[in-house]
Amino acid sequence: MSDLYLIYKNMTRKPLRLFLTCFAIFIAFLIFGAVTTLKGALDSGIELSADNRLVVVNRINFTKSLPIAYYQKVSAIDGVRDVTHMNWFGGYYQEPSSQIVAMAVEPESYLRVYDEVVVEPAQREAWLQNRQGALVGEKLAQIYGWKVGDRIPVSSNIFSHKDGGHTWDFVVEGIFTGSNEQYDTRQMVFHYKYFMETQTFGGDWIGWLALTTDDPSLNEQVAKSIDETFANSQNETDTSTEKAFNKAFIEQIGNIGLIIFGVVFMAFFTILVVVGNTMALAIRERTGEIAVLKTLGFSSPRIFRMVLSESMLVALLGGLSGLAAAWFLIEGAKATMARFLPNLIMGQDIILQAIGFMLLLGLVTGLLPAIQALRLNIVTAFNRGV
Amino acid sequence: MRSLLSQIATVTAMNIRSLPRRLWMSLAMVLASAVVVAILLAFLAMARGFEVTMNGAGSDGVAILMREGAAAELNSVVLREQLNLIEESAGIARDAEGPLVSPELYVIVDGIKKSTGTEANIPLRGLNARGMAMRENMQLIEGRMFTPGTNEMIVGAGVLREFDGFDIGREVRFGKNVWTVVGVFSTGGNVFESELWADIRMIQSHYDRGSSYQSIRVQLEKAGDLAPLEETIAREPRLNLDVQTEREFFAGQGKQLQYIAIFGRVISFIMALGALAGALNTMYTSVADRAREIATLRALGFGNFSAFCGTIAEALVLAAAGGVLGSLAAFVFFDGLNASTLGGSFTQVVFKFEMSPDLFVQGALLALLIGFVSGFFPAWRAARIPVIVAFRNGV
Repeated sequence: MSDLYLIYKNMTRKPLRLFLTCFAIFIAFLIFGAVTTLKGALDSGIELSADNRLVVVNRINFTKSLPIAYYQKVSAIDGVRDVTHMNWFGGYYQEPSSQIVAMAVEPESYLRVYDEVVVEPAQREAWLQNRQGALVGEKLAQIYGWKVGDRIPVSSNIFSHKDGGHTWDFVVEGIFTGSNEQYDTRQMVFHYKYFMETQTFGGDWIGWLALTTDDPSLNEQVAKSIDETFANSQNETDTSTEKAFNKAFIEQIGNIGLIIFGVVFMAFFTILVVVGNTMALAIRERTGEIAVLKTLGFSSPRIFRMVLSESMLVALLGGLSGLAAAWFLIEGAKATMARFLPNLIMGQDIILQAIGFMLLLGLVTGLLPAIQALRLNIVTAFNRGV
Repeated sequence: MRSLLSQIATVTAMNIRSLPRRLWMSLAMVLASAVVVAILLAFLAMARGFEVTMNGAGSDGVAILMREGAAAELNSVVLREQLNLIEESAGIARDAEGPLVSPELYVIVDGIKKSTGTEANIPLRGLNARGMAMRENMQLIEGRMFTPGTNEMIVGAGVLREFDGFDIGREVRFGKNVWTVVGVFSTGGNVFESELWADIRMIQSHYDRGSSYQSIRVQLEKAGDLAPLEETIAREPRLNLDVQTEREFFAGQGKQLQYIAIFGRVISFIMALGALAGALNTMYTSVADRAREIATLRALGFGNFSAFCGTIAEALVLAAAGGVLGSLAAFVFFDGLNASTLGGSFTQVVFKFEMSPDLFVQGALLALLIGFVSGFFPAWRAARIPVIVAFRNGV
């Protein structure tokens, strides 16, 4: 009779209890997997930002515009490699609820600053030539079924077209992909000049500037000299790394996120405590049997191993199936959630972390009874008359 | 009948008095039930708090007009000419000084959040005395009103709670302009408390808005009656405005956190399943532990039904204890908790978690449900198992 068979028999002696225990662990890890992935997706914008990219916004707030003259002035500053300017369009397609990330940009410099944007040379040329052209991200094009050459009406919830209404016609001249999988391609860009000519307010203002520095080590110095250049002017600037800017933006969602994840993790650990308690008790009940095994000549280390492997097995059985369920859940949700959370991916680190918790659960619940079994004196155990 | 009741009472008392013997298992069940209840209440309190903050701001007696399709005040533009046309429309309340109309500007400025030390968006609203009078609950709780034509502003109580540097007398710098805080106002806890208010003319000039506005609020002649205004807008092509009551407007914005409430319910439901598994384990163990006792009772002539009720009662007591514990924990940790998030207008909305009595009822129901389900099946087994078998197996 192998040890494994004994462990199996011990585990399944009360099938209902085994099932309930595994089910509780299953639920705990299902939630852990799903919620951690969700959190990772929310934070992904921070990690993806390029190291040497800076953002220049109006000091008052990033929703307040800057004069276009700043574009030339910033490009003249030492340490600035490429700079481009962007305007938020507030775009939506057909229904105000289907919002689109759409920006009016200076085309050539945009492609230099955002080198993650990959577009075929022919399409790139076509877009640069056509003032009414738009460059659409792959995922966005997929969502609405747009193809190169399509004429697409995109509306703005902020601006009015000078011909009346809020809708602009663009021609899809190119479809871009990201140089890495996580780059968010649910966005579109179009010519700043076309935008300025056709919107009612006119004027020469821009939303914000994005620039790359010659080297990430220059970031601080460049940011400082930009802000100093415009200090005490009518429009002071606030320059920060893209990373810091994205982080601040995500933090605006506020402590709500923190509270939610805190609560969920507390719950995760409490379920583990509850389950662990049951598992430990299930083994402690068997003191008498362990004494019998010892009498039969099973060595103490061997029993120690058996008890510990049993709790490990239960923890892994429930935990891995829970994690697998979370994975399926996320794969299923990916398609529908892609519009809000493009980076819904259960990364290796999450899986490793979860497996770490499973092993910890198995260890903590198994160790104490296992040590007791190891030290168990046969005579005392039988005397206890259990 | 009386004997049945007294039997049930006896068995229940016996079960409950023997709980300490199964201390750890019982505690596990209490904890399981407590966690599920606490989670549910935390999510619901958050959603409720946000909703109260949003909905409290909306009045049926006030209509808000923005450029069509704008959805939020931030995106809207209203011209002076349009304001004049609206002022002449029917359906607006008037007093000695003319129609009760408040043109307003809504710009965003940065403030430093106390919780994270990072910059976050705060709305700076430009309005005049008429606009303030339209906010029914508005009152100054400290300091004085700003003097029109100066760089003075008053701050909402919520801004003061969540952001640094807005105390009375402080000078606040937005870009090149320096403002002085001269007062703190409250609007009864609603969303306007997350705002800074200043004279509209000053904001027009500091933010290059010329004579334009972003929204118009009007006091309706008859609460909820938008028809005359809608008719004016339909008749006049220059008025490309949407009109809705303030209540509708804020109800739309309050929807945002409803998703969190749904998310919370789903999570609590799944968690409840997990906790239920734990609780069932506890109760099965408890029944196995007392198999001989139960068999003895039945041999003595106690009915199956009283044995059944005894076990259910034990489960209910444990789950209810957990429910109370969970509710208390949720109340202590979450009630009145200050939170802020990005609202529909792209600015920070400061709100408080609100643990209202009906939430406690929901928590209590959930706890009792867990208790009942986790007690039912083991109790069924305890009552059904033949006395002989119980004696033989009852280790």
